[in-house]
Amino acid sequence: MIEAISLTKMYGTKKGVENISFKIDKGEIVGFLGPNGAGKTTTMRLLTGFLYPNDGDAYIERNSIIEKPLIARKYIGYLSENNPLYEDLKVKEYLDFRGRVKGLKGKELKNRIDYVVEKCEIRDVISKLTGSCSKGYRQRIGIADALINDPPILILDEPTQGLDPAQIYHTRELIKSLSVEHTVILSTHILSEVEAICSRVLLIQKGNLIFDGSLEEMKNAFKKNQVLDVTFLCDETKGREILSSIKKIDRFEKLQNEGEGGSSFVIYSLEGEDIREEIFWKCFEERIPILRLNEKKKSLEEAFLKIISEESKEEEIQ
Amino acid sequence: MNKLLAITKKELLHYFYSPMAYVVLWAFLLINGFLFYVILSALSKTASPPVSPLSIIFGGSFFFYLLTIVITVVVTMRLGAEERKQGTFETLLTSPISDFEIVMGKFLAAFIFYVVAWLFTLIYVFIVKAYQKDLDFGPIISSYLGTLLLGMFFISIGLFSSMISKNQIVSAVIATLIMTMLLGITFLEFISSGVTREIFHYFDILTIMDNFSKGIVDSRNLIYLLSGTAFFIALSEKSLEARRWQ
Repeated sequence: MIEAISLTKMYGTKKGVENISFKIDKGEIVGFLGPNGAGKTTTMRLLTGFLYPNDGDAYIERNSIIEKPLIARKYIGYLSENNPLYEDLKVKEYLDFRGRVKGLKGKELKNRIDYVVEKCEIRDVISKLTGSCSKGYRQRIGIADALINDPPILILDEPTQGLDPAQIYHTRELIKSLSVEHTVILSTHILSEVEAICSRVLLIQKGNLIFDGSLEEMKNAFKKNQVLDVTFLCDETKGREILSSIKKIDRFEKLQNEGEGGSSFVIYSLEGEDIREEIFWKCFEERIPILRLNEKKKSLEEAFLKIISEESKEEEIQ
Repeated sequence: MNKLLAITKKELLHYFYSPMAYVVLWAFLLINGFLFYVILSALSKTASPPVSPLSIIFGGSFFFYLLTIVITVVVTMRLGAEERKQGTFETLLTSPISDFEIVMGKFLAAFIFYVVAWLFTLIYVFIVKAYQKDLDFGPIISSYLGTLLLGMFFISIGLFSSMISKNQIVSAVIATLIMTMLLGITFLEFISSGVTREIFHYFDILTIMDNFSKGIVDSRNLIYLLSGTAFFIALSEKSLEARRWQ
């Protein structure tokens, strides 16, 4: 469906992206993740043909973006980062223009305009100038434009940027509903967005693709030791005594109790060890009840920060 | 063709949704009307030479060139510069439409506007016809042909200037500069001699327009204006492609 092969883009002597390769199959929702200026927008501009790569190529439904750009672009609906609109056109005129530019005409065009207007819920502003629409509506007009010729692939560059929480929620719901029929690639630097929508993550940093995999893989790839949150029904000294006797524990810290009695600790295991069972048996022997035992899952946020900081460290060493 | 016309329609909507179109048309007609009046009254004096007032309107005066430059610059200066400034080139260039269709669509819109402006001047032809029964329509038709061809040439220059500028004013300055330089060939012809003079003569727009207003349709003149137009349209198209390689 989409295949990028060693895409490289230089802006003069400055690196945009370097040697990026990936393959996206039909029906996937892929999140392009990375800090600002990492190369997300550049990659999207290369895929949509707004920029040509200095090296490498990308294929959209087996059509090269350089050799067969018109066919390749036909398969893509694109919402660009700032979502520029012709501000002195009415929404209906704008969609009519965009539809015609994408090769629609007559009844088909009319039907598609009706469809996208309903789908993106922009019926209320259809006769307004695009320039006088609110940010939330503008974003939906942009998505309606991307959808107008029913392309199999949607590329959305920061679709929820600058929206208020309610608008963000609606836009996400819209994207989710679109993912049933379209392959969606979206870029964002908001991690919760990826968590809410995407099934796969491409992580880009400083122009390089540094991770490609599912969300779970991304979380697990950086989970080396087990972190537990436990509460024993005993005093602190006894708790410390129990934990000190378990060899697989790397370190532990006392936590403030939150009115539930007993003493709480956060425990870090040695790398690759599962210590839950051992804690249970130890407490059983000592006749100390466990009130709570919770494995702390690594959040995406932590994984993201960790990947980025590790990459930077490696770079410094080199 | 459908896509090209979509671009043309959009550009025409831009013209007529902004006050610009009306101001330009109004100014164009006012100046041309005043000019026509001045020429008519000068020529009605008994001692005046037997020249048709229409041949002065078309290329026979400084005002003709001033008006042509102003109107072609004004209708073309925002065609590319505004898209670049607003960022809408990104949506346009990522659509399944060729660079040639984009450029030609814009060119056509500007040309339609130019033609509409000159269509109003047909009224002068009827006025002259009313007083001059033996009016020869040959030179009038060729004058209009020359005016349209010159318009095409200047519009292509304006379009190219706009494609390479981010700012409408810069675009207008570049276009005016190129057009003035082309008109300045007259002076080069004046101060040179021999073969050089011959060459400059071929490129001299004043001579070309003089031919058209006399009813002479010289294929060399046609080729110069048409190939000039094609050259700047091709440059505009290339400038779009160059953006992708930036």
